[in-house]
Amino acid sequence: MLVLDRVGKTYANGVHALDGVSFSVAPGEIVAVVGGSGCGKSTLLRAISGLDTPSQGRVLLDGQPVTTPHEKIGIVFQEPRLLPWLSVAQNVGFGLEDRSKAERNSLVAAALSRVGLLDKADVWPRELSGGQAQRVAIARALVPRPEVLLLDEPFSALDAFTRVNLQDHLLDLWTYFKPTLVLVTHDVDEAVVLADRIMVMCPRPGRIFDEIESSLSRPRDRQSAAFDHIKRRVLVALDRSLDRTSASSGPEVKVSAGQALWW
Amino acid sequence: MSVLQMSVLDELPEPSLQQRKHWLLRWSRPALGLLLPLGLALGWEISVRAGLFSGRLVPPPSVIYATFVELARTGELQSHALTTLARVAAGFAIGVCVGTLLGAITGYSALVRRIIDPSLQALRAIPSIAWVPLFILWLGIFEASKVTLIAVGVFFPVYLGVMGAVMSVDRKIVEVGRAFRLTGVQMVRRILLPAVLPSYIIALRSGLGLGWMFVVAAEFMGASEGLGFLLVDGQQLGKPAQIVAAIVAFAVIGKITDWIIVGASAPFLRWEDRFNAPAGKD
Repeated sequence: MLVLDRVGKTYANGVHALDGVSFSVAPGEIVAVVGGSGCGKSTLLRAISGLDTPSQGRVLLDGQPVTTPHEKIGIVFQEPRLLPWLSVAQNVGFGLEDRSKAERNSLVAAALSRVGLLDKADVWPRELSGGQAQRVAIARALVPRPEVLLLDEPFSALDAFTRVNLQDHLLDLWTYFKPTLVLVTHDVDEAVVLADRIMVMCPRPGRIFDEIESSLSRPRDRQSAAFDHIKRRVLVALDRSLDRTSASSGPEVKVSAGQALWW
Repeated sequence: MSVLQMSVLDELPEPSLQQRKHWLLRWSRPALGLLLPLGLALGWEISVRAGLFSGRLVPPPSVIYATFVELARTGELQSHALTTLARVAAGFAIGVCVGTLLGAITGYSALVRRIIDPSLQALRAIPSIAWVPLFILWLGIFEASKVTLIAVGVFFPVYLGVMGAVMSVDRKIVEVGRAFRLTGVQMVRRILLPAVLPSYIIALRSGLGLGWMFVVAAEFMGASEGLGFLLVDGQQLGKPAQIVAAIVAFAVIGKITDWIIVGASAPFLRWEDRFNAPAGKD
């Protein structure tokens, strides 16, 4: 169980990025965090990952406070961040340095075949397409079998077709391992297609504005009326979350329901 | 065009005019650059042979070649070259070790950088040859002062290169290391070292270049052997051919040592995504 307990973050330059964020995520649950830019989504994810320490509150995994990167928490960034001097297979095995060579090889081969890139095992990262590289990054994060996988806008740099592919792919992998997923995204479709629960954040300082449950059965039909209904609820919540501050700062964002939303 | 391709072309029954033109064009470019030096050398050789000039102060290529062969035959050239090589090796090793260590520390820690980098930059502004009298006073006229001078010459490019490389390692890549909970030592070995390697090789090469420059300066200040001694000796005894032969030896050995660094590092740098890298898989 992942628990966020009144997590807040104030940067050294005085920016109040996050204020009193509390929620908990059950094992195997998929939670999406959506919100306009600058609402502290990424700050929140970095606090959960232990890469940044919250200024207030704490993050608990199975009752233990998370203050530094944790072996049971994996992370996938917006960019693949593969190490260019390692082959694809070596990149996937990066977190398995402590295992025996044979074990590492078999785990890496299994992970690569699950992401459908076994034939790319020996190539350099520079030879991969953006989508392939991100699949390798996901494999690298999953291969040590984390309890929690954090994803920071993992598909936002990809074209629409690849993005939809990788969303389905991520769900396949999730079915296999059942890790807890916490996904930060600015793509409402992505949130609705993946998540059990969607947290809508609002900016200045970043807070949880609304929480929308999504009990649709998987795989989810992106064209169904139920899908559209949840999406509409998220979009309305997003709209309201921004309205509260739009008078004082930033341009107002007009949201038309039923349309993919890009911030 | 490679030799292999050429031999294939040669075996073709009737290479078309276009193909012939193609490889002629390919070879004409580097050949164009050789035209001037070869022409000058040949012209000088002919003028001296024709008795137009004595060639006493500027020896013709044939005399330089003969001197080179003679020095090599007696073993003099080899022993001088080895002495010089040993001095460069010792100075290079010391300069690289200290430069790498200090460069890595100052690149990593902003605090240490603020403390020692200004002093090092001030020292760097001193033309290194200016140290010579002081080194002789402190360390005597034998090997210690020479090796120290070379080490100083090697130190600065290596120090600057390593510091700059460590400072510019991508934060995002370092974060991957942090996410996988690497210890300090693991972070250096698995992330920082590979990341700085390309710039490090360049730093080593410029360090080596300066090392060869400074060994000449060091050997000018009273050496009884070494290629630099051959230069001084040739000047004092009026043997210009010996000077040129020593210069040629410097050029050849310097280039070979540079090739060794490049060749030894190449297998570790195949991953680089260079704009002129050969296409496809390595």
